[in-house]
Formats: sequence, structure tokens, C-alpha cells
Amino acid sequence: MKTAEPINTFDASSDDIEASREHGRQVVEAAGAVRRIAVDLASGSETQSARLDSAVSLSNEMVASMGETTRQLESIATFSEEIVSSVNETAASLEQVGGTTSGFATGIAEIAASAEETARSIDGVTTTLQGMATAAEETTAAMTEIASSVQSVSRDTEGLSASINQTAASMEEMARSISSLSGNADDLNVSAEETSSSINEMAASIEEVSAMSENLTSNVESVATSIEQMARSVQGVAQNAENIAAAATSAASTAGQMDRSLRTVASLAKRSEEVSRKLTREAEEGGAAAQRSIQGLSRIRTSIEQSSSVIREMGKRSDEIGGIVSTINILAERTNMLSLNASIEAARAGDAGRGFAVVAEEIRNLADRSAQAAADIAAIVRGLQEVARETVTTSAEAVRVVEEGGRLADEGSRGLQRMLAGIQESTDFVTQIARASEEQLASSQALVGSIDTTATQTRHVAVATVEQAKTTQEIVKSANQMRKTAKEVSQANGQQGKAAREIIKAAQGTAAVSAQLQKAASSQTTAAKEIAQALESMRRGAVSTNRALEEQTAATGQVSKETERLARQIANMGKAMSEQSVASAQIASTTQSIRRQSEEIAKGVTQQVRAAKDMKTSIEGISKDVGLITRSNRQHLDAFTRVLSSISEIREVTLRNVTSAKSLTDGAAGLTERAGLLARLLDRIGGNGRAKRPRSKAKQAGGTENA
Amino acid sequence: MNTFVLFEVAGTTYAVRSEFVQQIDMVEAVTPVPNAVAAVEGVVHSRGQVIPALNLRTRFGFPKAAFDMRSRLVVINVEGRVLGLLVDTAREFVQIPLASIEPPPEGITGLSSHYLEGIATLKGRLVLVLKLAEVIDLVDVQTIPSEAL
Repeated sequence: MKTAEPINTFDASSDDIEASREHGRQVVEAAGAVRRIAVDLASGSETQSARLDSAVSLSNEMVASMGETTRQLESIATFSEEIVSSVNETAASLEQVGGTTSGFATGIAEIAASAEETARSIDGVTTTLQGMATAAEETTAAMTEIASSVQSVSRDTEGLSASINQTAASMEEMARSISSLSGNADDLNVSAEETSSSINEMAASIEEVSAMSENLTSNVESVATSIEQMARSVQGVAQNAENIAAAATSAASTAGQMDRSLRTVASLAKRSEEVSRKLTREAEEGGAAAQRSIQGLSRIRTSIEQSSSVIREMGKRSDEIGGIVSTINILAERTNMLSLNASIEAARAGDAGRGFAVVAEEIRNLADRSAQAAADIAAIVRGLQEVARETVTTSAEAVRVVEEGGRLADEGSRGLQRMLAGIQESTDFVTQIARASEEQLASSQALVGSIDTTATQTRHVAVATVEQAKTTQEIVKSANQMRKTAKEVSQANGQQGKAAREIIKAAQGTAAVSAQLQKAASSQTTAAKEIAQALESMRRGAVSTNRALEEQTAATGQVSKETERLARQIANMGKAMSEQSVASAQIASTTQSIRRQSEEIAKGVTQQVRAAKDMKTSIEGISKDVGLITRSNRQHLDAFTRVLSSISEIREVTLRNVTSAKSLTDGAAGLTERAGLLARLLDRIGGNGRAKRPRSKAKQAGGTENA
Repeated sequence: MNTFVLFEVAGTTYAVRSEFVQQIDMVEAVTPVPNAVAAVEGVVHSRGQVIPALNLRTRFGFPKAAFDMRSRLVVINVEGRVLGLLVDTAREFVQIPLASIEPPPEGITGLSSHYLEGIATLKGRLVLVLKLAEVIDLVDVQTIPSEAL
């Protein structure tokens, strides 16, 4: 626009050229500026374009991410719904959990109960275990017993084994002897035949001997019989002698006893004689005393009768005294009465009667005393009378007793008389006995002497006879033996004969038998071997049995040990059970606390359910919000798409700008070029005004360019 | 004057003033009188005078007892009335200071207190001092509802 003006003012003077040059320079400068601006514009547009590209790509990315976001939001919505449903489910399940928890609580309560039961049953088990422990101890004891018995069995078995061994050994020996027997049987066979012929010879001689020995036997028999008779008679003699000796001995001892008893009798007789004499004297004295007492009794009786009459007299006198006493009494009473009257009168007389009063008083006192004395006398008299009465009664009784005594004394006296006569008689007898016993004593001493002698002699005879008897017995014995021997010889001879005949027969059979024997022996040998084998196996069996028994013993020991250990374990178990019991009690308490906790959990779960519901509500709110966000995001996306299209348009415009900036650049370049040409032209035109021409040319070029 | 004659009835000792006592007699024949008061035993002859005899056992309500050597007839003269008192015995004549006679105890009221002037203690034994006028008051006697008339 600015360039247009110089063009209009164009003129062809030097000034004008100068001005044109100036204008050309200005045009070049302006063109340079335009070019720079265009280049800037181009580069800025390009940058803008690049930026726009990147913006587009970013926008695209954003769109894509927004789409993604939308999708995600949608999926979030879906998830929210799912979450809501799962929250619902959770709530439901929580409610279930709540239910389950209360169930759990009841279950725990049951568990607690069952734990308690368990505790109780543990206690029971503990008691049972204790019982088991005792049983185990008993078992241990029984096992120990078994072990000992097994050991004893083992010992027995060892003994058995040993005896089997011995048996085996003896069987072997038997086998060996059987073998040798077999050999002998062979030899026997040969010798049997030889024997047979010699036996025949022997048999003949035996027959002869037999006949002779029979004769001998009969002779011996008769001798023996006569010896026996003698022996019997000697024995009888011996017996008789012994009897005599015994009788003599007993007679001697009897005689001794008799002698002693006779002596005793003699001394007793003497003593009894003395006693009888003394008795006689005493009886005589007794008789005299009895007579005296009879006399005394009759005197007593007389005197009692006298005293009785005296006492009766005394009683009479006492009665008289009583009468007198009562008279005294009456007098005393009267005196008392009179003195009393005197006192009364004296009192009435006043002072004048005072002395009289005193006298009256004294009289009264005297009267009282005499009355008292009279009363005393009366009492004494009464006592006397009583005593007299009693005495009379007693003396009557005494008289009776005395009479009885007299009679008894009479009887006693008579009895004594009779006794005296009897004693006299017995004394006579005793005297006679004493004399007779003294005579007896003398004769018995002689008897004792002769009996002693007889006894001694008889004893000698008896001893001798016994010796004879013994000797005879021995003779009889030898005779018997002789007889027996003779008989045996005879029998033996007979048997020898028989045997010889049988031997002959047997010897003939022996050969056959020995052959059979041989066979049997060999088979026996075989059997013995088998037996030996069997015994061997038995021995082995016994040994193994023994071993087994030892093992059993060991095992029993182990079992015993095990049982003991079991017992210990049971004891431990018992301990453990009691610990368990304690633990189960703890469990019970723990279960209790668990139950409490579970109840709290149930409460917590209920609260959770409530919280889940709350959560559900808030999640639904979130879901709603997410829906809103999704919607607004879609709107954003639309808006963004629109923004993107406008950016694309901007980009196109920018691209167009770039193109036009390029063409502008090209134009500016061309202008610059023309301005250069103009300048050079002007320089050539002007020569000195080089500066004016390029300017004007630049002006023209510019103007042309614009046109 | 404080002299007294002592007598006994049924184990109890009584005292009467000696001025009222005329004389003391042995008890001899007592003649019963018809329609007499129960306490009146009968009449007796005393020093030429016939006087009524009052049995104090009956008068004092004790059972009767047979007369013996110790029984006495105490003849009294009260205000001109002369009569005999039949007692178990009368053997003492004593002086009793009036001060030592105490009035009868208040517990005893009615009939029996009329008879008593007081109670004296004499050498440790109790003596009932009689009011003779009352004892012999036959009107009073007739008031006894028992065997009267």
C-alpha cells in the first residue's frame, strides 16, 4: 500500500532517480522484511500445523481415552450394580452369619456343656484309670508269677531234655547190644547143635542121681522130725522154768511186802492198844464227870426254884411299895394344893402375909420334890416288877432246861458206861492182835528167806534152760534147712531130668529159633536205629522247646516289664487325665468366654449388616453419580469431537496459510530480485545516483508486483 | 397386886389374877345338872356352898379328859359370882410384872380375843392371861352354836 504512493509520484529527474533509488532500497528492505515475516509466518504456521497435528493426535487420544473412560464408567456402573447386589448378598450372608453366630453361640454353649460332661467323663476315666492302674499292678504281679512258673517249666523242660538225652543214649546202647545180640544169635545157633548131643548124655546120669537123692530125702525127713520134737519139749521146759522164776520173784516181793505190812500191823496194834487204854481211862473219867454234872444239875434246879419263889415274893413287895408310893403322891398333891391356897390367902393378907407366903412357897416346893421322888420310886418299882416278872418266866424256862439237861446227862452217863464196856472189849482184841502179829512177823521172816533162795535157784535154772532152748532152736533150724535142701535137691534132680528132656527138644528147635532170632535182631537193629533217630529229633525238639521256653521266659519278663511300664503309663495317664480334667475345666471356662465373645460377634455382625445396608445405599448413590458422570462424559466427548473437527478446519486453514506464506515468500524473493535488478538498472541509468534508481525501480517493481 | 395363879388346860398354861381366886380344891364328885350349858360340868360342894363347875376344856373347845389326882377345881369369885373352873392342874403361884404382859396379837380376832387380857413370857414359857369376866360370861357361852342347850 505504501509502495503505491511513490509510484504515483514517479518522475524522471535525477532527484527522481535518487528518490527511485531510495524507494528501491526501501522496497528491498520491505521485501526483506516481508520475506522474513513470511518465513516466520511459514515457520509459525508450520509449527502451528505441527502443534495442531499433535493436538489432533492428542485429541484423538483423549477422545479414545474418554471413550475408554466412558466404557470404564459404564463398567464402573455395572460394577456398582454388582457391588450393590454383592453388598445385598453380603448383607444377606451377614444376616445368615448373624443367625449362624447365634447358632454358633448355642453350639458353643452345647460345647461348653459337653466340655463339662467331658470333664466329668474325664474324671470318670481318671477313676477308671486308677482302677486300671491297680488292675495293671495286679497284672504285673500275675505276670511275674507267670514268669516264675514259665522259668520253672523251662527248668523242667531242661530236665526233660536231659532225660531224653539219657534215653537216647540208652536206646543207642540198646541198639548196640541188640546188634551184638544178633551176632551172638549166630554163635548160639552153632553151639546149640553141639549142646544137644552132650545134653543127651547128661540126661542119663541125671536120672541116676535123682533116684539116690530121693532115698536121702526120706532119711533126712525122719531125723528132722525127731529133732523138732526135742526142740519143742526143751522150749516147754524153758518156758516152765521162766514161769517158775517169775513166780518165785513175785513170791519173794510179795513176801517182802507181807513182811512190811506185818510190821506195820504189829506197830499199829501196839499203838491202838495204848490208845484203847487211854480211851478207857478217859471214858471212866467222863462217866464220873457225867455223874457229877447230873448232881450239879439237880442242885441248880433246886436253887432256881428257890430264887423263883424269892422273886415272886419280891414282886409282891414291889406292889406294896407301889401302893405306898401312890399314897405319898396323893399327900404331895394335897400339900401342893394347900400351899397354893396358903399363898392365895397370904397374898390377900397383903404385907402381913408376906412371910407366910414364903413358907407356903417352900412347902409347895417340898411337896413337889416329894411328888417327884414318889414318881421316880414308882418308875423304879415298875421296872423292878417288870424284871421280876421276866425273871419268873426265865427261871421256869431254866428249870425246864435243867430238867432236860439232867435227863440228857443221865443218858450220856449210860452211853459212857456202854462205851466203856466196848472199849474194854476192843482193847482185849487189840492186845490179842498185837501178840498174833508179832508171831506172824517171826514166821514171815523165815518164809521170806526161803522164798528168796528158791527164786535165786529158779532163776539160774531158767537162764540155763533158755540157753538150751536157743541151741535147740538153732539145731531145728539147721535140720529144717537140711530137709529143705534135700527136697530141693530131689526136686532139682527131677526138674533136671525134665529139663534135660526139654533141652533136647529145645535144642532141636533152637536152630530154627535162632535163625528167626537173627532176623528179628536185625529188624530190631533197624527199629532201634529208627528209635534213635526219633529220639534225636525228640531231643532236638526238646532243645528247641527249651529254647522257646527260654524265649518265652524272656518274653514274659519283657511282658512283665511292659506291663509295669503300662502301669506306669496308666499312672501317668491318670496324672494326664487329671491334668486334662483341669484343662477341660479351663476349656469349659474358655468356652464360656468364647460364647460370650460369639454373642458379641453376633451383635457386631448385626451391626455389620446394618452397615452393609448403609453401604448399599451409598453405593447406589455412587452408582447414580457414576451414571451422571457417564452422561456428562458422553456430552464431553461430543463436544470434544466437535472441537476436533474445528481443529481440523483450523489445521486446513493453517495449511493454507503455510501455502500462502510460501507463495508470499516466493513473491518477496521475486520482489527482492526485481528490486536488485531495478537498483542495478538505476545505477546504470544514473551513474551517480545509484541510490535513486534502485529505489525507484524498487518502487516500480513493488507497484508492479502489487498490480 | 400382880400375883397370879397358873393352871394348865390341854398343855397350855393360863394365868388368872390371884385376887379372883377364892381357893383351890381337889376334884371330887361333880354332880351333873339337867339342861346345863355344855361347858358346865355340873355342880360341886365347896366349903358349904354349892357352886357350878365350868369345864375349861369344853369351854375352850378341847376334848374332855378323865379327872385324876392332878385335876383341880379353881374356885373363883368375880363380882360376887362364885364358880369352879375344872382344869388339868393348878400348882403354881407367881408374880408377873404388869409391864411384861403384852396385849394379844392382832391376828387373833373374834371370840378368843375376848378371853385374853394379854400374853406373858415366864422363864421362857408362854402364859395366856385370861379375862375371867369374859370366860364365865354364859351369855357369851350360849352364843356358841354347838351343843348349846
